[in-house]
Amino acid sequence: MQLKNTLTRYGALAQLFHWVIVVLIITQFVLALRAEGLSPIKKIGVLGTHKSIGITILVLAVLRLAWRLFNPVPPQPRGIPRWQELGAHVSHFLLYALLFITPVLGWLMSSARAFSVSWFGLVTLPDFIEPNKAAFERLRDLHEFMAWTLATIALIHLAAALKHHFFDRDDVLRRMLPVWERDAQS
Amino acid sequence: MRIHQQLRYLLILVLVCGSVALAATKWNVQPQESKLTFVGSQQGAQFTGAFDRFTADIKFDPQDLPGSRFDVKIDMASVNSRDSERDDTIKSDDLFAVKQYPSARYVTDRFTAKGGNKFAATGKLTIRNVTRDVPLEFTFESKGGSAWLKGGAQLKRLDFGVGQGDWKDTEQVGNDVQVNFVLLLKP
Repeated sequence: MQLKNTLTRYGALAQLFHWVIVVLIITQFVLALRAEGLSPIKKIGVLGTHKSIGITILVLAVLRLAWRLFNPVPPQPRGIPRWQELGAHVSHFLLYALLFITPVLGWLMSSARAFSVSWFGLVTLPDFIEPNKAAFERLRDLHEFMAWTLATIALIHLAAALKHHFFDRDDVLRRMLPVWERDAQS
Repeated sequence: MRIHQQLRYLLILVLVCGSVALAATKWNVQPQESKLTFVGSQQGAQFTGAFDRFTADIKFDPQDLPGSRFDVKIDMASVNSRDSERDDTIKSDDLFAVKQYPSARYVTDRFTAKGGNKFAATGKLTIRNVTRDVPLEFTFESKGGSAWLKGGAQLKRLDFGVGQGDWKDTEQVGNDVQVNFVLLLKP
């Protein structure tokens, strides 16, 4: 498998970015939902990990977008309806946007709560806003809204990939899977 | 006559010694400008807090360290980490336990000059009824009658039992706490 994208499939690095971010986002939901109702010290631990992973996603999103800029993605399959092509572009754009927006809102909401973000205890991130309860509550609501929006679009994205694979029987899903070239040809 | 002269010397001696003992100025701490703060850590990220209410009896004279003394009483329920939920947690039984132990106290034993306007002190800090030796380092800058006393101390919260049960774990909440103070003193 090549590192770079080809005309027919995503390269190893693009796939790595995609699937690592998928796993991290699922982890984020598990941690955030588990944190509710935990004792304060356990909550500090779980949310600390949630914040560290969130910053990891933010950094990966930056790297992923940079890689994409220098490495065009494979074109959409020919002959798909215009609305589907447009839908794919819009949902990919929104998914990228939310990969930035959601962690940044989480970062800001932590600062607003006077709980600075540490990346796995190694780097402490600066606080761009002063502690403020009202701002915290607004940012928390926005962070949650963006997270659920991200989950919704990701599920539509998944449904579309499965539809391409099982109904249209094209290689839209397969080209994002780490299968070897000779398997892909079968 | 001789007796009178001896008495006069004695009187002078008593006055000199007495005035030396009284020389360490008793200062008035200005609450508006004075701050007692701390830096703790959770998940590797530092957070700062303050004690909004404390009283400090400060007798200090760089020329009379033996006569100098700090006696600070801290209202533990006045802890303010800029998040009320965290403050409630800090005040709870496993940490400050403010219901049982409403105040902490620090009293100095001995001062040493460190050159210039730098000084160090040894003293005893009592939190949750646990008393430990805690050294201080500070600077004393007097300007036109008033003075700034600025310094700090490092301590470990678990030395004082601040952290029972799950809170004994220092992975999430660090053991090291830096305490800082800035006091504006007026005569």
